[in-house]
Amino acid sequence: MAPPRSACGAPPRGGAPSGPAEPDPRRLLGRRAAAVAAAAVAALAFGLAGPTAAAEVAPASTLPFSVRAVGSPHYGDTLFDFYQDHFFSAITGLMVSQHFRRVSPHDDEAEVLRGGMLLSYGLHEQAADIFAKLIERNAPPAVRDRAWFFLARMRHQRGLLDSSQEALDRIDAPLAGGPNEGLEDERQLLQAQLLMARQDYAAAVKVLEGIQGRGTGASAGTGSAKQYARFNLGVALIKSGDEADVTRGTALLHEVGQSGAASEEMRSLRDRANVALGFVALQDKKPREARVALQRVRLAGPLANKALLGYGWAASELNDPRLALVPWTELATRDLTDAAVLEAQIAVPFAMAEIGAYMQALERYRGAAALFEREKKSLGESVAAIRGGSFIRGLLKQNPVGAGQDLDAFARLDQLPEMPHTTHLVPLLADHPFQENFKHLRDLQFLQRNLAQWQDNLGSFTDMLDTRRQAFAQRLPQVRAAAGIVDLPALQQRHDALAATLARAEESLDAAAFANPHERDLLDRITRGRATLAEAAALMSTEERSAALERLRRAEGALTWQLTQQFSERAWVARKGLRDSERAIVDARARDAALLQAQKDEPARQAGFAVRIAELASRIQTLQPRVVQLDAEVQTQLQDIAVAELQNQKQRLDAYAAQATLAIAQIMDRAQLAQKDPRGDDKKAALPAAAAKP
Amino acid sequence: MAFTYRITLAILASLALLTSAATAWAQPAPPADAASAPAAAASEPAPAPQAALDARVQDLKAEVIRLNRDLLILEEELLYPAGTQVAVFVSMDVGKLFELESVQIKLDDKLISQHLYTAQEVQALHRGGVQRVFVGNLKTGSHSIDAFFTGRGPHERDYKRGTTLKFDKGTEPRYIELRVKDSLGKLQPEFEVKVW
Repeated sequence: MAPPRSACGAPPRGGAPSGPAEPDPRRLLGRRAAAVAAAAVAALAFGLAGPTAAAEVAPASTLPFSVRAVGSPHYGDTLFDFYQDHFFSAITGLMVSQHFRRVSPHDDEAEVLRGGMLLSYGLHEQAADIFAKLIERNAPPAVRDRAWFFLARMRHQRGLLDSSQEALDRIDAPLAGGPNEGLEDERQLLQAQLLMARQDYAAAVKVLEGIQGRGTGASAGTGSAKQYARFNLGVALIKSGDEADVTRGTALLHEVGQSGAASEEMRSLRDRANVALGFVALQDKKPREARVALQRVRLAGPLANKALLGYGWAASELNDPRLALVPWTELATRDLTDAAVLEAQIAVPFAMAEIGAYMQALERYRGAAALFEREKKSLGESVAAIRGGSFIRGLLKQNPVGAGQDLDAFARLDQLPEMPHTTHLVPLLADHPFQENFKHLRDLQFLQRNLAQWQDNLGSFTDMLDTRRQAFAQRLPQVRAAAGIVDLPALQQRHDALAATLARAEESLDAAAFANPHERDLLDRITRGRATLAEAAALMSTEERSAALERLRRAEGALTWQLTQQFSERAWVARKGLRDSERAIVDARARDAALLQAQKDEPARQAGFAVRIAELASRIQTLQPRVVQLDAEVQTQLQDIAVAELQNQKQRLDAYAAQATLAIAQIMDRAQLAQKDPRGDDKKAALPAAAAKP
Repeated sequence: MAFTYRITLAILASLALLTSAATAWAQPAPPADAASAPAAAASEPAPAPQAALDARVQDLKAEVIRLNRDLLILEEELLYPAGTQVAVFVSMDVGKLFELESVQIKLDDKLISQHLYTAQEVQALHRGGVQRVFVGNLKTGSHSIDAFFTGRGPHERDYKRGTTLKFDKGTEPRYIELRVKDSLGKLQPEFEVKVW
């Protein structure tokens, strides 16, 4: 009897047993990775800091993070957002500060930071422009090297391997120093990837050995990083094809597969190494070696199902179907969404038939066929739910884009909505295109909300502008009228006349000119007294008249003496008063001119704002339908991916169901043959006549 | 160093290819049902090319980012003209001797801002971030700013300190940074005000 067809040749998925070499993307791209990526971009930015900005304030060893002085509060404000993963606010805030030229002396760092953040969003063109400009404008060598590295990485991500290598070759010195230690390892890993892509495994091995060989220094990274490097080196050696290298690579993977693991991540890597070794051994027809490696895989780990399946096949290869039954029976009880579990449904009766337990095999085959049929039906229901849109709605409900959330460069879907048959869609969680499209969907929802919010704000701005315009129109005439009460030219004339009078008084030393009203009154009274005495001369005796004139003369003398004494002081006060009034007139003129200018400018300024508001509103209105359109397309794309996944599962079920049917037919044939030939071999005894019944 | 793991993705994926080849030993992959597969394909709408969709989403994001920049510039010019703008920032220089919990800021005896810090915000400040706690408008002339910081000082004791600054506002924007510093000599936190 032919063994059941394996579904394990299906394209590998991260986290799925068929993809042991790829660490769980949920772990890699989750929040932790976001923080790590953020730190790396920050490290890059700080790495470019000049002496003014890069001074360590405290020994790094005493603090859990490095503290650096920031030479511009607005650049610091960007960092404040950036360190909290508010990347959208950080990018837009930084662009605004760059517009107002207030990030100096961090201009280069700010550009690299912006490029890095745009890159996180997958805005390759914009990021490439930024890095290319940094290179063009002859930035310091450290900046240029980092820019070349980022360009190399971007080109690699886009599949431009030659130009990626070209950019890497332009880096003059190791990307080292301070918090950027990790970048040099990244450069070496990128180099190794490029070499492996060119199938130059020997060179890749050398590069990876270089990373491994960096010993225990800081640049060698953590123990887990070294473990990954060892794993990768093992892969490169195996892929090099050279017998000695394959042996060495296998030994390295065995080392990883038997190493202690303190964290779940490392335990998972160990499982992957063992599964990889097991399946390579199976491929090389070495079932005993395969068993040894597969036995080391944890029963509860994400790769357990794959390992159990492989372990069973290894036993089967060794012609020990009883031993194969042990892992397969366990596997058959597990979650049916895993292809390995589905395969176990027919692997178990296959092994039973191998040991001659046809009756049980027949029952299991029939049970499997019925199970596949039920699964196909529920798959059909899931497809209908997805096409109806409830799946995407549920996804968004389960993973909402909250009001306080930012555009998330590292958003990742970890949970499926609570709806019927969602277990079929679990594999999607590890599916890169699905995750990418889901991220697009969340981003688009964020953009929709962002645009709607700005639309509201622009409405408020328009109202505010109208209010200002009205207030200005109402208040300006009042202010102008108030200004008109004071006739500036007349004031100027009076000022000039006073200045001339003062000059004459000073020139002629006319102290009486500075007399105050009381003194002036006294002077008048003296003059009037003299006149009265002259008129009354006939009525008065000579002695009386002389005495009166003498009194007047003394009074006049005292007054004149007083005025003369205060002449200088009063002249100075008068001059000061004149200067003050001159200044006041100048100020009044300036205010009047400003008022006149404002009368001309303010409407133009307000009109300028109105034009900008209208233009921006128009841009929002243009973008909104595009967001909605793309949102719908991405939703369709997500649905298509989900449906395609279910169709794949359906096809697998069809294939397994066909195999189950074929196996049932074969057992029935044997039963019929046994009935026709009662003197058959010993296996017939295990097949009761009842088994031959349809 | 954990960041390097992301880079290893592609390398690690190569092993997946290796193992997928290894699994081919069992049996050839099940052929698609000749009858049902084309029918299924015909019943499903043709998916939009993923690369083109990605590119369009990225273009849109870039446009929205540019638009946000222009909107923020408009907002600042409209609401906080350069001639009257004043902004207040909070930063932390080391901050080992002081666990910042909240800040309250008064401008000319008028409360303009009070903020309770989250752990994430405090960490962002520790790493060199500078928080803009207030932006507003102010007439030209003399003004005073008072800031009150509360938190935990040395030996886990509650700590509340204030700092004051008188400053002149001209026709240029005025940026005021309130900085929490460690005085290693006194083993006490210090609070500085810097006018940019």
